[in-house]
Amino acid sequence: MSQSTADIADLIARTALKDRAAFRDLYGRTSAKLFGVTLRILRDRGEAEEALQEVYVKIWQRADRYAAGGYSPISWLVAVARNHSLDVLRARRPLADDIDVALDIADSGPDPEAAAIGKGERGRIDECLGELEGDKAEAVRGAYLDGFSYDELAARFNVPLNTMRTWLRRSLIKLRECLSA
Amino acid sequence: MSRDDQGSEGGEGDQVLVAEFALGLLDAGEHERAGRRIAAHPLLRRDYRLWRLRLGALDHEFAETAPPADLFHRIEARLFPAPAAARGGFWQSLGFWRGVAAACFAVAVIAVGVDLAPRPPLTGPELVAALEAEGSNVKFVAFYDQAAGTVRLAALSGAAVPDKDFELWAIQGKNAPVSMGVVPVSGKVDMPMPATVKQTFGAGTVLAVTLEQKGGSPTGAPQGPIVASGTATAI
Repeated sequence: MSQSTADIADLIARTALKDRAAFRDLYGRTSAKLFGVTLRILRDRGEAEEALQEVYVKIWQRADRYAAGGYSPISWLVAVARNHSLDVLRARRPLADDIDVALDIADSGPDPEAAAIGKGERGRIDECLGELEGDKAEAVRGAYLDGFSYDELAARFNVPLNTMRTWLRRSLIKLRECLSA
Repeated sequence: MSRDDQGSEGGEGDQVLVAEFALGLLDAGEHERAGRRIAAHPLLRRDYRLWRLRLGALDHEFAETAPPADLFHRIEARLFPAPAAARGGFWQSLGFWRGVAAACFAVAVIAVGVDLAPRPPLTGPELVAALEAEGSNVKFVAFYDQAAGTVRLAALSGAAVPDKDFELWAIQGKNAPVSMGVVPVSGKVDMPMPATVKQTFGAGTVLAVTLEQKGGSPTGAPQGPIVASGTATAI
């Protein structure tokens, strides 16, 4: 764990103890990153600012939940910002047709337990995305980094919605195999 | 088969569901149901953790962008609506000012008491403030001259600091401090009031003196430490 990573973990821990000075430091060290997240996903400065406020309110209220899990502290913070931004987007999107989205849950399948914590800690993502066809890797990145929905991805890649769903889901299965290998 | 929390977990459909959940591809209702399903099943939780860890490696692609300077103040105002006294946030903290002002009030009465000789009939409330701060030997007494529209400032103690100036500020409510200009650290001076301050100056207005670079803060906002402050009080 690098020094700055350890520092941020420490600031989160102190924030969990309701240490306002630590919270302020944490904001000073991480707000530019988290603003980058809300701005990229929401694509509107006013909304991104509003979201950033709510994100730090959540961080203040839920800092005690950062503990086990093994995420780096900055990833945990980014996830709070990203999830909140996606919630904002979801709240204004129409609901998808449930039947369209529904998936079969197989009664048996590969045991993810064995595969879950595969080799390597990080950095495999680029390698594994590299194994997908170009457009599909871009779609995965667009979903993660830009918060694109299936609809938006279909429009961006100029394919029918169901086609996008089908090939993105296949790509995710392939990606998962690679990531847990 | 339902995707809710029934059925065995871990098949291909679930693998896709966890991935879609992690990427944020599901709509609100689906997302909520998937979250419950994942939370209920340890194997799915582990799978989700794998996605989070791996996808987190893309986080460096979010470009850092500085948020507006006052955003933390807005967050603090939401979280700590009463007297907020977060360390370092004192310029934004009404609680800080009220606390300092309360501490100064007794000094104000004593300091002003010696000067309460016969006066002309009052045309409005007479306002005074005693300015001081813990750890600082700089002290002022301020009188509001309503007719002249000035604040008369008398230095009680303190010494000039080489290459620095003292600057007087008025703070009204939650507004940003407004500069009233650089003040000498000895003798008396009449400081004209900016129109914005004059309109609302009254009991409760906080006067503060900060130590700034020569000529005063270049930004129009206080940069240096508070060396004295106090609240205008009717007498």
